[in-house]
Amino acid sequence: MSDTKIIKSTCKSCHGTCGVLVTVENGQITRVEGNPDSLTRGTMCSKGQAAFQEVNNPNRLKYPLKRMGARGEGKWARISWDEALDMIGTKINEAKQQYGANSVVIGQGTGRGYDPFTIRLAGSIGTGNLMGPAHVCYLPRLLVFALMIGGRLFCDLHGWGGEYPKTIISWAKQMEVTNVDGEMGVWLLDTLEKTKNLVMVDPRSTRLSNRATQWLRVRPGTDAALALGMMNVIINEDLYDREFVTQWTYGFEKLRERVQEYPVKKVSEITWIPEEDIIKAARTFATEKPGCILIGEPLEAANNCIQTLRAILCLAAITGNIERPGSMMVWMPPAAGNLEAFGREVRLPEENRKNIIGGDKYKLCVLGRICHPETVFKQLKEGTSQVQAMHLQGTNPLLCYANTREVFDGLMNLPFLSVADLYMSPTAEYADIVLPVAHWLEMDAIWDDMAVFYIAAINKAVEPPGEAKPDSWIFNEIGRRVGPEHWFETMDDLWNHVLRKSGITFKEFQEKGYLACTGKDQVYYKYKTDYWKPGGGFRTKTGKIELYSTQLEGLGYDPLPYYLEPNESPYSTPELAKEYPLILSAGGRFPYFFHSQYRQLPWLRKLHPYPIVQIHPETAGNLGISEGDWVWIETPRGRIKQKAELLPTLDPRVTICQPHWWYPERPGPDHGLWEANANVLTASDLPFDPAIGASTFRALICKIYKAEEGE
Amino acid sequence: MQRAIFRDKDKCIGCYACVVACQMEHAFPPHPSFPPVAEPEGVSLTSVYRYGPFMEGNKVTQYFIPMSCMHCSDAPCIQACPKSALYKDPLTGTTMVDKEKCIGCRFCLWVCPYGAPRYNLEGKCELCDLCTKRYKEGKKKTACEAVCIASAIFSGTTEEVASHKSKKAAKKLVEGSATI
Repeated sequence: MSDTKIIKSTCKSCHGTCGVLVTVENGQITRVEGNPDSLTRGTMCSKGQAAFQEVNNPNRLKYPLKRMGARGEGKWARISWDEALDMIGTKINEAKQQYGANSVVIGQGTGRGYDPFTIRLAGSIGTGNLMGPAHVCYLPRLLVFALMIGGRLFCDLHGWGGEYPKTIISWAKQMEVTNVDGEMGVWLLDTLEKTKNLVMVDPRSTRLSNRATQWLRVRPGTDAALALGMMNVIINEDLYDREFVTQWTYGFEKLRERVQEYPVKKVSEITWIPEEDIIKAARTFATEKPGCILIGEPLEAANNCIQTLRAILCLAAITGNIERPGSMMVWMPPAAGNLEAFGREVRLPEENRKNIIGGDKYKLCVLGRICHPETVFKQLKEGTSQVQAMHLQGTNPLLCYANTREVFDGLMNLPFLSVADLYMSPTAEYADIVLPVAHWLEMDAIWDDMAVFYIAAINKAVEPPGEAKPDSWIFNEIGRRVGPEHWFETMDDLWNHVLRKSGITFKEFQEKGYLACTGKDQVYYKYKTDYWKPGGGFRTKTGKIELYSTQLEGLGYDPLPYYLEPNESPYSTPELAKEYPLILSAGGRFPYFFHSQYRQLPWLRKLHPYPIVQIHPETAGNLGISEGDWVWIETPRGRIKQKAELLPTLDPRVTICQPHWWYPERPGPDHGLWEANANVLTASDLPFDPAIGASTFRALICKIYKAEEGE
Repeated sequence: MQRAIFRDKDKCIGCYACVVACQMEHAFPPHPSFPPVAEPEGVSLTSVYRYGPFMEGNKVTQYFIPMSCMHCSDAPCIQACPKSALYKDPLTGTTMVDKEKCIGCRFCLWVCPYGAPRYNLEGKCELCDLCTKRYKEGKKKTACEAVCIASAIFSGTTEEVASHKSKKAAKKLVEGSATI
């Protein structure tokens, strides 16, 4: 009889929190499947199921490594964990003593449950320079929610208040296949059964296009104009929620004035959406209530992202779609609170928090407590950087930050770089110390990433390969070397500390599987209670939803939303557009990979072996390009090669390529990144978003031409 | 009893989770190889085809259609197999393959109206078996059905599948026209 056990765990192959069951036979994982008894009712995507191909993957890092040759030469020596951690600890402590704590950068990638750990580690060192791609992903949303509402908004796809959304706007989002950010694809698809209107805002058709009742094919980078134009219709036609607006919002009259600058005709010219479609969508959203807006990341990687998001949120607010059942909700956390507190409870010296890199220019970075990565790499490249030591965990800046060339030049000037990863990524190839990380199937952890209303247990199914260790352990061990008073003797102590408010131990939590605040426990209309403010109101300075942002005004930014033309476009750079005639979105997502991950997994790679650029058939025809041809995509920064897919639903002037491509199977140190990675095309010298410093990924200009044989 | 499966083109979003679930259920290949091996035949017994997208004015037509063995009552493959390797499972009516008997001649692929048969690395026929092993262990949903976030797959007895479809049609009647 074989020894078979089933482990209840939680997938963290993306931001989602899908409950999984892992079958382990004789010490080998033979199956990863959905857990029917979880909030995702047993469903999963391709990425999560294929996760077990990461366990025992021959490419995995197994031991701590120390660089022996020149950077990127690929010469490594195996060292012990003690030696590796002591060296990282020493470098951090030395940098701190000689140059101050802000000479240390702690970096992470997309949120994967260890955000509180990077925050706590930075805090315990005393550095304000926590680095991540948050300024182009999710942090703009969180800050705008905080500025306007004082809490985090999510679409109510659950019906706990007795109603489901009648109208859903899916704005720059493909939640059904990628980037869930707290609202799961399965919840959306279940809710669609009960939803009357699905309005898509996207430059291309998506996998839900068939089910959309309306599709607004927006020109990339012009979403703020669309939102302002819709508000123009709603306000001028008197379709806004007068009672809610009067009682619970601040600055409506000023907003009314501002939207007069965006008549539908002008907005139609800017966005390339027919006037009647804008009017129809506005009327639908204002009259078919409740409604909610799924807000996607493409809006954030843009030159005026804060105001774009402000405009969209104003749209939800003036229609009264906040805190009512089926609208946009601030969820209450479970009894344990959110993991985030674990990071924030270690206070930073005020000086260091204020003086983060780039914080002088991009003041919301200070508020969001992250430094500005593009400035970090630019200063490193120019030799003017204060940074002496950088520790990166679960991040791959050579693929994921704007302007790969500049990131590369910056990294090469860095005195000390340590990287913790599952694989020898292109960034790890250039490190001084590389640490092997355990996969989520090989660790015990608590996972609460985005979906605020619950936290879930990740339970170890198998041992990690070699000496690979969980992220949390690595953070704790580095922490003990750089700020021991904030870290723990054992991992059990650490997890029990995280859970202390819940009244249960980590062991009990692991058996339980998750803690959630759902159903009747979630309170709607919290602003009418004492929840945020005694006597009612929102957690903002004015106690109301700030259509007119007093905080942005205080920081010297426009308190009202406005539209800004993309940095590069046929309108803003007409001369340059003669050479680069196509509008390029360099961030087209697809279901099988998550950012730069999973190109090593056979099942997924077989579904999608090469990067794809989508071109309108007419445009392709004019360029002599056929389906499946390899083509060069070129911007003023450089060129990359992807395979052409002809997509008739695009505007002929728009093209969409895929981000974060590299070929792990190709030799290091670069693994094909210069040939395939879309960030070779993106810019780090254009104006950034004035408030948070976001770089532009989705509204560039490019030219495309066929690659010659053997090129 | 005759088990059947319905795959809903109106709901499928083409995420291919079912394709991966099917490989997992049938253990092809059980462990990763890297770089990915040259295309092994018959890697998944279900596949998803994209129809479109086409544009007419502002209207998009696009379907994802998951396809696999339909488990025909009078199955051409069973009639055609020269080695009688294909047969009906007596309990569930599912078309099954006896891999001992199969010679991998691929004649079943010639006669199948749906292009369902796949062939494994040994060249033997592999067919969607409606997760019969799983079913007999008491799991009602097939692997592809359980994993589907779009609820686009439904398996059951022919009656259950028919009633599932009728329910969908009834809903459309009510929502689509009030004047029947």
